[in-house]
Amino acid sequence: MPIENPFQDPLRFERRVPECAVVIFGANGDLTKRKLLPALYRLAYDRRLSAGFAVVGISRTPMSDEAFREKMLEAVKQFSEDTTFDDDVWKAFAAGLFYVAGDIGDAALYQSLAGKLAEIETLRHTGGNVMFYLSTQPSQYARAAQGLGAAGLGKGSGWRRLVVEKPFGHDLASARELSDGLHESFDESEVYRIDHYLGKETVQNILAFRFGNGIFEPLWNRRYVNHVQITGAESIGVEGRGAYYQEAGALDDMIQNHLLQVMATIAMEPSASFRAASVRDERSKLLRSIRPMTPAEVRQNTVAGQYGPASIGGKDVPGFRQETGVDPQSQTNTYAAVTVFIDNWRWAGVPFYLRTGKRLAKRVTEIAIQFNPAPLHIFNQDGGQDGVESAPNLLIVRIQPEEGISMKFLSKRPGSGMMLRPVSMDFNYGSSFGERSPSAYETLLLDAIVGDATLYTRQDMVEASWGVVEPIQNAWRESPADFPNYPAGTWGPAAADGMLARHGHVWRKP
Amino acid sequence: MGATVSPELILKELAELWVDSGKQGQAEGGTGVLRACSMTLLVLAEAGEDTQGLGETIAALMPEHPARAIVVRLSGQGERTLSARVYSQCWMPFGQRRQICCEQVEITVSDAALADLRSVVLPLTVPDLPLIVWCRSTRLLQMPEFQPIASMAEKIVLDSAAAPDPEAILQCAQEMAERGLMLGDLSWTLMTRWREMLADVFENQRNVAQLARVSSVEVEWGGSRYVPALYLGSWIEDSLISVGVNPSLKLSRAADEDFLRVRLTGDGFAVELARQEDRMVVTLNGCSQCANLPQPTDYLLMREELGIVRHDPVFEKALVSAARLTHPIKQ
Repeated sequence: MPIENPFQDPLRFERRVPECAVVIFGANGDLTKRKLLPALYRLAYDRRLSAGFAVVGISRTPMSDEAFREKMLEAVKQFSEDTTFDDDVWKAFAAGLFYVAGDIGDAALYQSLAGKLAEIETLRHTGGNVMFYLSTQPSQYARAAQGLGAAGLGKGSGWRRLVVEKPFGHDLASARELSDGLHESFDESEVYRIDHYLGKETVQNILAFRFGNGIFEPLWNRRYVNHVQITGAESIGVEGRGAYYQEAGALDDMIQNHLLQVMATIAMEPSASFRAASVRDERSKLLRSIRPMTPAEVRQNTVAGQYGPASIGGKDVPGFRQETGVDPQSQTNTYAAVTVFIDNWRWAGVPFYLRTGKRLAKRVTEIAIQFNPAPLHIFNQDGGQDGVESAPNLLIVRIQPEEGISMKFLSKRPGSGMMLRPVSMDFNYGSSFGERSPSAYETLLLDAIVGDATLYTRQDMVEASWGVVEPIQNAWRESPADFPNYPAGTWGPAAADGMLARHGHVWRKP
Repeated sequence: MGATVSPELILKELAELWVDSGKQGQAEGGTGVLRACSMTLLVLAEAGEDTQGLGETIAALMPEHPARAIVVRLSGQGERTLSARVYSQCWMPFGQRRQICCEQVEITVSDAALADLRSVVLPLTVPDLPLIVWCRSTRLLQMPEFQPIASMAEKIVLDSAAAPDPEAILQCAQEMAERGLMLGDLSWTLMTRWREMLADVFENQRNVAQLARVSSVEVEWGGSRYVPALYLGSWIEDSLISVGVNPSLKLSRAADEDFLRVRLTGDGFAVELARQEDRMVVTLNGCSQCANLPQPTDYLLMREELGIVRHDPVFEKALVSAARLTHPIKQ
């Protein structure tokens, strides 16, 4: 039985972080350099990591521990956005960086890794705890998990965790196949599927907003909510990732994971506690309540798009088919809009509109909840207010770039007479709280190290999401679209406006 | 009777301040000001204190703990006088067009008018939000006029190390805590990172298994680190006793100003924590590791205290033990 640490003070101290080794497969890749190492260094800078901490990088390139440290030093200096570089903190952190070269398909790699981990456990006192992070090609996930299992690394004296990056399959069958492959060596409770959207401060704040306050939840249902719009827009194109993006598309890349998870957070039932299982059960239940579409419904309730060339701010930008590495006849969707209905008592009949795209008018991710208007317009009986009075109440949850919550409501204009105008009440996360918010990867890496899976996606959630997206994929595949259908720098295809107009709604312009 | 103040007039001036700020913001092409408030912060300071430094500390606290700040300047002896002025602290968050403003009231009060202070402050507190009293004047803490102010507060923050007679302030703080008042002491807050680093050492099961071997706790302090040393020593001793370990506790004075070092030793086991400039060095059985540890400022310490508006049982226990320790040390 573990001995209790008598010096802990949960009221004042940061969360307890156990000692461990983090093994990163794909240590030479972009994600490691841009996100993982800067996040781990920041955690070290903030003294959030245990003294018994180590990182083992794995990739095919032969390299010494020292050369790996040098490479990671460059990455941390280049990609740490708001962290002061401290030479002494780096030296202490870098002493825990190690490297093993090898091929994921080669059993010898895992023998070398086992030897390295044993050595590190003695040297760095990592307590036998190991977190494996798969930052490789998705096709290698199952192979890596099986290699670890075969070498006996799936079990040990401490805990074992396996973190997997998206995509979690490319359809329902492949998602199940992936899970089966991972489960050969790791239990589902040891698998952490990362969705960095859920690590964002505002997405977590949705839970605080909904379940920490008593006044909103009574309004959070079909009786008061007219519809919900969830937008995940990017102003940039594929930025040299054309070849990769061509295989994925906006529907798979954003809606299947990020936007459906955000939607589940907004629409889920209150969980009985803030324990990981409890919160994830509710998210999963919500995703399973989404009504799957028939092919006819897909035609009515979805819009695919692909951007064409345009001039933005005096600069010519290429269309998707003109991007490097992209097939000039590509049928890949760079825009996707979907109308979703949730078949439960809370949300029956309330449309949830999800849209995402590349090269849209601006970069913004937000959720807009539009409430029903007042039932009687008593201030506009002479018709003199140009419909202002029917302007709906809106609750906007901004996820990026300016995290915050805004509420729009009507107020009397100062002066004589009863003229109304909409006003906005804003809560801005960044300015209301001056403290730096941790990056999504800092939050999620720390959560995985302490064993908190609340913000990670579970197998049943992944499968439920594919259950929603797969019928759309199939229908889109069967009827090729007339692409491109929106110029870069706009809010997407005209058909998307038509999709909302059928329900009497219009897209917000965030 | 000298100058007097009317709380209603102050509230009217505060309201006008917001109207003016809003108009000014719109005239400058912005979208007005954003008003934020999470508490009333009542700061009690001697008139001789560095006004600018205190103002900067309060302004720095505002982004994370937006508050109506009431700064009371204690002018000491003299005729019975109370005077007030009202102003706002605004800042423009980086990259944004909207100003964030917090309101401030400054009241100057002579000792003879202290009894009137409660009746002025009470109507000025923001309804439904906590009132936090930051009593920087250790003189006032020991005066009977402080009691009515303390009774209004959700929490009182003091700094026992700032007093010429810290033992007396520790005793006073302990008595207040015994009466059920919620307290914070910046000399204790100063030790949070030290305590956390020590706790981190014993997160490792191998190290925590060595706890039974600890036979001695030594704390060396210099200059103003006396009270923090008392807190640290008593907290470590209490924590070890809670798991059945009874070490000897030795506190000794070092020659260096602001020096602080703690050592836990026993049979074949030694942990030492010491500050070296902006870093904390933790040495475990001869193997050292350092971490970033910025020099504490009033801002950093208050930021932590304002985040804890509830009873802190670990502090309350350490306060009792530290107060108990003062007598043998004085001898």
